[in-house]
Amino acid sequence: MGNFDLLMHGFGIAITPMHLMLMVGGVMMGLIVGVLPGLGAPNGVSLLIPLTFALDPTSAIILLSSMYWGALFGGSTTSILFNIPGEPSSVATTFDGYPLARSGQSTRALTLAFMSAGFGALLGVIVITLLAGWASNFALKFGAPEYFAVYFLAFAAFIGMGSAAPMKTLVSLAAGLLLASVGMDSVTGSIRLTFGFEDLLGGISFLVVVIGLFGIGELLSTVQEGLRFRGVASKIDLRDVFKTIAELPRYWATYIRSGLIGIWMGITPGGPTAASFMSYGIARSSSRKGVPFGTGRPEGIVAPETADHSAGSCAMLPMLALGVPSSATAAVMMGGLMIWGLTPGPMLFATQPDFVWGLIASMYVSNLIGVILVLATVPMFAALLRIPFTIIGPMIVAICFVGAYTVSNATFDLWLVLLFGLVGYLFSRLDYPLAPLVLAMVLGHKAENAFHQSMVLSDGSLGIFFANPLVSSIMIVGIALLVLPKLMQHGSRLWRRAPVE
Amino acid sequence: MTIKVFHAELGTAVATGLLGLAGVIGASELGYGWEESGPQAGYFPFYVGLILIGASLWNLVSAFVHHREAVAHAASGGDTEEPFLDRERAGRLGVFIAALLAFVIVTLTMGIYVGSILYITWSAWRQGGYRLPLAFGVGLAFAVALYVIFEAIFKIPLLKGPIEPLLGIY
Amino acid sequence: MTKTKTGLLAATALMLAAPAFADFAPTRPVEFIVASGAGGGTDNFARTIQAVLTRDEIVERPIVVLNKGGGSGAEAFLYARQNEGDPHKLVFGTNNVYLLPHVAKLAYTVEDLQPVAALALDEFLVWVKADSPYQNVMDLVNAAKEAPGTIPFGGSQSKDTDETLVALIEQTTGADFKYVPFNGGGEVGVQLAGGHVAANVNNPNENAGQWQAGAIRPLCVFAPQRMAESEPVSGDMGWHDIPTCKEQGLEIESYQMPRTVWLPAGTEPEVLAYYQAAMQKVAESQDWKDYLAKTSQSASFLTGNELAEFIKTSEANAVKVFEAEGWTAQ
Repeated sequence: MGNFDLLMHGFGIAITPMHLMLMVGGVMMGLIVGVLPGLGAPNGVSLLIPLTFALDPTSAIILLSSMYWGALFGGSTTSILFNIPGEPSSVATTFDGYPLARSGQSTRALTLAFMSAGFGALLGVIVITLLAGWASNFALKFGAPEYFAVYFLAFAAFIGMGSAAPMKTLVSLAAGLLLASVGMDSVTGSIRLTFGFEDLLGGISFLVVVIGLFGIGELLSTVQEGLRFRGVASKIDLRDVFKTIAELPRYWATYIRSGLIGIWMGITPGGPTAASFMSYGIARSSSRKGVPFGTGRPEGIVAPETADHSAGSCAMLPMLALGVPSSATAAVMMGGLMIWGLTPGPMLFATQPDFVWGLIASMYVSNLIGVILVLATVPMFAALLRIPFTIIGPMIVAICFVGAYTVSNATFDLWLVLLFGLVGYLFSRLDYPLAPLVLAMVLGHKAENAFHQSMVLSDGSLGIFFANPLVSSIMIVGIALLVLPKLMQHGSRLWRRAPVE
Repeated sequence: MTIKVFHAELGTAVATGLLGLAGVIGASELGYGWEESGPQAGYFPFYVGLILIGASLWNLVSAFVHHREAVAHAASGGDTEEPFLDRERAGRLGVFIAALLAFVIVTLTMGIYVGSILYITWSAWRQGGYRLPLAFGVGLAFAVALYVIFEAIFKIPLLKGPIEPLLGIY
Repeated sequence: MTKTKTGLLAATALMLAAPAFADFAPTRPVEFIVASGAGGGTDNFARTIQAVLTRDEIVERPIVVLNKGGGSGAEAFLYARQNEGDPHKLVFGTNNVYLLPHVAKLAYTVEDLQPVAALALDEFLVWVKADSPYQNVMDLVNAAKEAPGTIPFGGSQSKDTDETLVALIEQTTGADFKYVPFNGGGEVGVQLAGGHVAANVNNPNENAGQWQAGAIRPLCVFAPQRMAESEPVSGDMGWHDIPTCKEQGLEIESYQMPRTVWLPAGTEPEVLAYYQAAMQKVAESQDWKDYLAKTSQSASFLTGNELAEFIKTSEANAVKVFEAEGWTAQ
């Protein structure tokens, strides 16, 4: 009740010509940043912060958050049309989005993605609206063991569902974990696995690896088959858009499941990337009939996109309510908050209602703007694909290298992109799954830290992961996700001999 | 020069195994045991490295097993193994990778603007069959777009070489 | 050979650091190299300075901020070494510039950078959960003496400022805590509010929100005198009402973290003078005072010999702790 009144008050603040203009501008810039691989949302938002000093904090956060939503939308566009994820959180969208677009249904693929994204964001904002007061108490219950359990759950969800050879999945995962542990380990304060190379001191950025694996790797596969571009041209056909919208209710189960996963991962610090992978994994394991995942299945787009955006918007909640950013972009925004003189924390909701509710209300509006703008501008991005490969190919190569360079202004990263491009090509030709490697690079270090902290707290006893109902239930769900799918496969094979499509 | 899938599998398994070995060696320098304050810095990479070596060995062995089956299958009149790369594809890939390598080296010495102008011009001219001035124009336009987006709008400096300062661009 | 040369140059630069009018001015964009990720304390520090310098047109060239937070900031300092003599690069850090080489094997030494100025001191406080039984810092210390190695004390990172301070408390009092390293101050603040650790030594800014909400409370501050007067933060308590740790009987005179600005070694003395003058103007601006008040840091503008003296003392004190704990990298 109180929340609803506050929300209405927030709309009063958010909907002014000036703020609407900031939203449109923010979303547009976000789209550009999201489409360019390597120039990600965290980077874009941090570049905008100095420009916000002239604005009041509410306008500033509206601009920054709109840019974030735009980047999330933009990231999915290139995932689907180019098979190049513009954002790490849209990696999972490439698995089915790109095949579907290649089969000539790019409007359908894009509409599915944007509508799911919009729906996910809406779900996320509604949850924020409802939980604003309550969530901060819940998140306080998360200590190191609980964090570890959540990461474990994310890994388990993805590995358990893998369709590739288990040992190849394991190689991919372990390689990712090893790469993630290169550089300074902040928790033990030691420098690891750099073998004396200064360039490795800062670690290997997963963004650089993703750009190599997915950007250059995909180009190599394209070249091998002749110098044609395998991207998909797309004009947005309004009739197709409405047809796709009409088919959306069919995926209600996927929507609800993915939305819940996204909300969960957004409030706990799993973040959008883990959420999209997890959601994709679960959608794949729980589907029984129809075309296999990875070949352009609609649920394979709906699941990661819904989870990505609901997690992205929910990530604002712990950032505002606790000062715990659960995504890299949220972390940057939190830095902005402090520069503007606001202290993130439970009291923010009480002392700055205009700011908090103005932001929440703006999230409804700017995501709507995002869906419309992205549908309207897709033809612009898709037009890039009519350019012959001999011209656009090298441009994409150059953009990939530029993007990798801007991650940390290191020339060494250019070599890494080249190396991981070759790895990406080799792995995908030999059916090594790439996703576990990326997941391990994103979450590996956090999981290790949480494990380390838990072990310090418990003096080395693994019992701490089952010490209270919260952590035990997360662990049990994780173990179930790891083991059950394989058991069920064997079970169903025994149960009915009938071949599955 | 045709590369068989068998060879690619072997090479990949050996490479991932070596990566695991590097992890184990690097981690054992740090210590992989337990100390008073919990696991040592090398604990996690050490065991991950061992797992990686184990899984790579498994893949190595299974590549041999598959290869033997495939050879037996071919000997008994079945299809021969599909090649990983035939001559034609290897040639295309080789040219592209060589160009990539050249692009990286030029970028590192001359900066990313010169690197991308040369790379795009070369590709459009030699591979796309466009006339040289047009190809160069495309490359130059791309570099200008990079400059405007990154340096002018977003204030992100890109890698520059010895030429840009002469033009007054830092 | 070159090292002694740069050392000498740095020394001469320090001696010449009189606030004479500088005849150097940047001719190209100035890079601010931040030794932390975007959004960290050092990042806010650098971006505030960037805003003041740009708005008041103190530096007339564009200023570009680059985050190089890898290796706890070592990435930024190595970058400074690689750009020896470049007058268009400023490095922003804390005391990590001169402390990191002591605890980790790194390919730079503090001689590879020359100090320009320190603009603020960030304070350290001992914090406990609001409903914790400890009323002053000695309660906490005594509890850790009675049950050695069981009381979890959270901090940000290992062998960094937080763990050094906890080790200093242990060495001073003979208590034994269980130090749990987290990734950053914000994270430790939440862990404390959730009761997962018993205490932390966060900076005021990192814990202010939780204190305001009444989830945690400060016990004492490691400063020679109490912090500046402020509006009440929680209940009727403001920053000035927090006793110093020495008042409570913990014999640590002061433990503060400077916010520092550095140039690569080997630049001309005029360059140093130019940036010193620019930082002086920043420190006198109203925006800067607002920033200090907002983040509850203490104003302290140090440059030249004063700064060199401060660094020497601060380094010597920390190294003593490192040696006692056996952290020094050989």
